[in-house]
Amino acid sequence: MKTLEIKDLHVEVEGKEILRGVDLTVKENEVHALMGPNGNGKSTLLAAIMGNPKYKVTQGSIVYDGKDILAMPVNERSVAGLFLAMQYPQEIPGVTNSDFLRAAINVRREEPISLFKFIKSMEQTINDLQMKEDLAHRFLNEGFSGGEKKRNEIVQMELLKPSLAMLDEIDSGLDVDALHIVADALNKLHQEDGMAMLVVSHYERFYQLIKPQFTHVLVNGKIVLEGDAELADKIDREGYDWIYKEYNVQPAAAEEVKKVSASIGTCAVRQASTAEAKK
Amino acid sequence: MTPIHVDTDIQLPEGYSEYEINTDRNIELTFTAKADCDAFVRIINTGKLRIRTYAPRGVKVNYLFWNLSENTLDVDESHEVMGEADVTVAYGEINRADTLRSVHMALREEGARGLLSSASLVDSSKTYNMNVVNYAPHTYGDMKNYAVVLGHGRLMIDAVGKIIKGAFRSESHQTSRALSFEEGQNAVILPELLIDEDDVQASHAMSMGRVDEDALYYLMSRGLSVQQCTSLISQGYLLPITETLNNEELKNKLKEEMERKIGELC
Repeated sequence: MKTLEIKDLHVEVEGKEILRGVDLTVKENEVHALMGPNGNGKSTLLAAIMGNPKYKVTQGSIVYDGKDILAMPVNERSVAGLFLAMQYPQEIPGVTNSDFLRAAINVRREEPISLFKFIKSMEQTINDLQMKEDLAHRFLNEGFSGGEKKRNEIVQMELLKPSLAMLDEIDSGLDVDALHIVADALNKLHQEDGMAMLVVSHYERFYQLIKPQFTHVLVNGKIVLEGDAELADKIDREGYDWIYKEYNVQPAAAEEVKKVSASIGTCAVRQASTAEAKK
Repeated sequence: MTPIHVDTDIQLPEGYSEYEINTDRNIELTFTAKADCDAFVRIINTGKLRIRTYAPRGVKVNYLFWNLSENTLDVDESHEVMGEADVTVAYGEINRADTLRSVHMALREEGARGLLSSASLVDSSKTYNMNVVNYAPHTYGDMKNYAVVLGHGRLMIDAVGKIIKGAFRSESHQTSRALSFEEGQNAVILPELLIDEDDVQASHAMSMGRVDEDALYYLMSRGLSVQQCTSLISQGYLLPITETLNNEELKNKLKEEMERKIGELC
């Protein structure tokens, strides 16, 4: 059984300590909701598990399936079965979805997947997520709407079949129909393959669809309260204030999360000294 | 495929034809088009190379010079484009050896169109001196240079678009893009526009920079190694150059070889 075990995790971002001792265990087949006010460490926890280089682990351990995750580069964590559906998926001009996904599938296999088999499963997945048919040939996330980017995260997940999926506000930017499509795809992976999920969302509607068995509340870098599905429901009705009072904690001042929208096409240090000589 | 070992005057046949330069000598080649044609020229080995091309009135010609040389390529080119002719000269530079290229393209008569276009995977020293000159009215010149600079690569492009007096209603454009993966990599691109006529249009666009860290993290989070990301991103960066050629056969050839070479070098 593949288990994620986090012990006493401390994480810094740009010299500022965001996580201050987190313990969390996620077993195969389990669905966990991670809640808490904005700016209190939810995204940081997911990013640290995945290995985002901007998030520095200063103390503690993360073990998955008996392996020391912190000693692995990001790509090996992915191959080990971790998947993070990101809040702001990157746009990568020049790289098509199909080239990218084929390469990503092949790193998990001894023999490269046959083109025929790949095209078939890609088509099936595009169909499941009700994406446009030309998705395979479009550049990765380039020019996608917010909702399309989120659904494309799930397309990738369905094709890569992780054993533990982390979802960072995957439901934001999705309309009601898309929300159901995404939840159906997630539930299918959960039921058929026993995929575990660690889910960050602010919305009870999404939790109702994917039915977490466990709820954790992260306030100011620590998990202050844990419970079952009821807890998520209560937070939806009553907010966080009662938790601050009852457990005597103060939330970290919510900072506007900087939206990173850089892409390769625009990463120029010096962009477009465009001179127009017209008369 | 026609092998070339000595100085040769080549009359390009209509349609597609292929040449391979393989010699130790200094050689001088002339290519003359009579009708619309596409020429693929593979450079295996050569001494100092001198290339002259001539496109008579009204023809459409595409050249693709594909550099596979393991020794320094020192090439001097001049391309003459007559009235209403349309010439594309493309360069695939993804070998490991140095290149020193000097190009002069003359848009000689009214309605002439010319495009110089390069895709370079730079792990050595690549120096290009490119000139496109509008000598006549209603001529259109363009340069597109795309480069990925690796490890110890050094790229230097001096691109000059010139419109002489009297070449009214002419256009001179250029686009340059250079991408690097590590710090300390070296790319210099100097775009110049020399314009001696009022009634013209001219532009240059340039971007230089490193691969975005967030993009790299995103690709890696799906299981790709740094090397695979480099290779995939480089392909995405350099392959669009193949679209400058209006020949499916050439396009596919360029893409295939490029993917293979990028895989080897990245």
